[in-house]
Amino acid sequence: MKKILCLVLALAMVLSLSACGGSAASSAAEAPASEAASEAAASAETAAEPEAAAPKYVFLDEDLGVESYAIGFRQGDEELAETVSGAVQALVLNGTYDAIGANYPDIKDYLCLTADGIDASSLPAEGSGDSSFTFKHGFDLDYPPYSYLQDDGSVGGFDVELCKAVCEYLGWGYEAVPFNWDAKDLELNAGSCDCIWSGFTKEGREDMYTWGITYSNNTQGILVAADSGITTLADLSGKIVGVQIDTSAAEMLEDSRADLAATFAELKTYETYTVAYNDLKAGAIDAIAIDMTAGGFLVANDS
Amino acid sequence: MSWSTMLLTMGGGMLRTCAIFFLTLLFSMPLGMIVMLLRRSRIPVVQWIMKIYIAVMRGTPLMLQLLAWYFGPYYLFGWSIRGYRFTAIIIGFSMNYAAYFAEIYRAGIEAIPDGQYEAADVLGYSKAQTFFKIILPQVIKTILPAVTNEVITLVKDTSLAFALAYNEMFALAKQIAASQTSFTPYIVAGVFYFIANYVVAFVMERIEKAFDYYR
Amino acid sequence: MVLEMKGIQKSFADLSVLKDISLQVDSGEVVSIIGPSGSGKSTLLRCATFLERIDAGEIRYLGEPAATTSAQGAAEYVSAGQMRKMKQHFGLVFQQFNLFPHYSVLKNIMDAPVHVQKRPKEEVRAEAEELLKKMDLSHRADAYPCQLSGGQQQRVAIARALAMKPAILFFDEPTSALDPELTGEVLKVIRQLAEEKMTMVVVTHEMPFARAVSNRVIFMDGGVIVEQGDPEQVFGSPSQERTRQFLRNYQQ
Repeated sequence: MKKILCLVLALAMVLSLSACGGSAASSAAEAPASEAASEAAASAETAAEPEAAAPKYVFLDEDLGVESYAIGFRQGDEELAETVSGAVQALVLNGTYDAIGANYPDIKDYLCLTADGIDASSLPAEGSGDSSFTFKHGFDLDYPPYSYLQDDGSVGGFDVELCKAVCEYLGWGYEAVPFNWDAKDLELNAGSCDCIWSGFTKEGREDMYTWGITYSNNTQGILVAADSGITTLADLSGKIVGVQIDTSAAEMLEDSRADLAATFAELKTYETYTVAYNDLKAGAIDAIAIDMTAGGFLVANDS
Repeated sequence: MSWSTMLLTMGGGMLRTCAIFFLTLLFSMPLGMIVMLLRRSRIPVVQWIMKIYIAVMRGTPLMLQLLAWYFGPYYLFGWSIRGYRFTAIIIGFSMNYAAYFAEIYRAGIEAIPDGQYEAADVLGYSKAQTFFKIILPQVIKTILPAVTNEVITLVKDTSLAFALAYNEMFALAKQIAASQTSFTPYIVAGVFYFIANYVVAFVMERIEKAFDYYR
Repeated sequence: MVLEMKGIQKSFADLSVLKDISLQVDSGEVVSIIGPSGSGKSTLLRCATFLERIDAGEIRYLGEPAATTSAQGAAEYVSAGQMRKMKQHFGLVFQQFNLFPHYSVLKNIMDAPVHVQKRPKEEVRAEAEELLKKMDLSHRADAYPCQLSGGQQQRVAIARALAMKPAILFFDEPTSALDPELTGEVLKVIRQLAEEKMTMVVVTHEMPFARAVSNRVIFMDGGVIVEQGDPEQVFGSPSQERTRQFLRNYQQ
């Protein structure tokens, strides 16, 4: 009797889940529509935003600071860093860089490379790489929109696509090495991967790696509910702010902006931003310190 | 992401989770037996080494051990660790669980009254016969509840394989949760662990019942 | 002579438990060993059955030596293989029965003859069933020890020992763990074996039983044999003061 009861319970859970799944699928379908809407709103800059389309969560105008995302190589791998950086610049010139960026509306405003000032003659030629070489791309699969699991279950993201394009351009093989972020240095130094390329912040790590080109900027900001009444960093005094462990935002609040963090009621550290965002929605915390692309992604993908 | 894609993606992870689970049991249970026998060895040095081994395995986080097993060969000996990931996970889990099983076995063996050994001895049973025919079946009965606990813990511990970037089910759940900004994959993971542990508890209960014919 | 023990010495750490004990048992003899607890009688039995190793002295079964004492005075045992063979000469019935709980009554009796002595299973089964009949337990052949009373368990233990066809059977306080109303059924079986001329050494506290069944009674105290002889003599007119005192205490 007990067993039957348990089985029924398990079955009920599965069924209720499939119901949730239905709504999850539909919310994913809605997401592009809302993105399109916000893009439209952004293009009609001066037009008054319709009430219904207003995002429920917004970034404060004041930010915490700017950081640059670059490609990290093993110390001493100057030649590899130079080749890959050159190939990235070549992709800027041939338009691939912007084309990939167009697939990721949350990133597109933060791509910092332009054709201006790139000397085409110093770049590696297309197909000039050793075709027997496989470039091992180390990244974190938890970091949308730079590297994450796609809707079809495949590995993707801006960094993954750009790295693949680099390998294609040079004639190298490509190998995805999705690793555990905490073990990234162990993986890199042990040779499991050739680079760390996953929305990887250069600031504060300048001496730890041989750095390739900075291909994206990002701004650390504060995400709050639009109706929270919090409009400035000063308003955060006495509030609870969430942040994901080991992120640039977390580092800033512990280091360069520790003064600001000291005014918070609490700085809550999360394993992932997904959990922090749900806490924000539930009203358990007042704000999230997060980079603008990841924060934008969270808001845009939330139904 | 559609419901079916999510299930399909996580299904692959579940297979990998199951692979860790079954291979770990396959290796750690007999290995635990060896560790326990060495731990009870009359040679002080052997006993001492096994004590340290058990203390280290039980006293440090499994995640740390996994990292050590995987990266250790490279950092200590400069060996290439390409293609070694899954092997390292199975070694790490098996060595860790062997230590726990060894202690469970030891407790089970020490619970057998001396009279059983003496009766077997007087009847002329050899050491091996005494162990396998008389002692072991009774030990198994005694330790079943403790083993059940350990096996259930293992089901949940499989998620630690992500320390070595092995995409088992919980790692995938985290990745999908991040890309979909949704809790649904966690709930799916929860249901999976629940069902898996329900099956484990059910099977173990059956085995315990099979030993119920005596006290 | 079935068993011959000579000059047995045994100590645990600094405590000397057996001090120069000698004991001979002839075929068909029933010897009872009595004495206060701590007198060494159980240790003597455990030394005879190789559960404890003697420090010095000699043990022989059917004339074959199992342990001898070298010139230096330390006991030396024969090889493990020979010891194993020699274990076939005797059986031991424990105070706590020590049946194998995971085996049925029949398997408890049959397992060692089949797997240790390598005798044909059908032959052993027939003998085991015969033994169970003798123990009045034929109806419990398929039961497990936990389903039996203490008296029944002890009778199974006796059958298990007998199934090995030992030349001598040792009993280590076979009724001490039993409720008083259950001792009778076990003593009855031992008495029946005595009548069949089974060679036995019984360590016991059941004085009337020892008196009625034994050919010889040994009184031990403080690790030595204080007095031994015909039961009527030892119980009726003990020659030693210590024996008298012990028996007096027992009657109170």
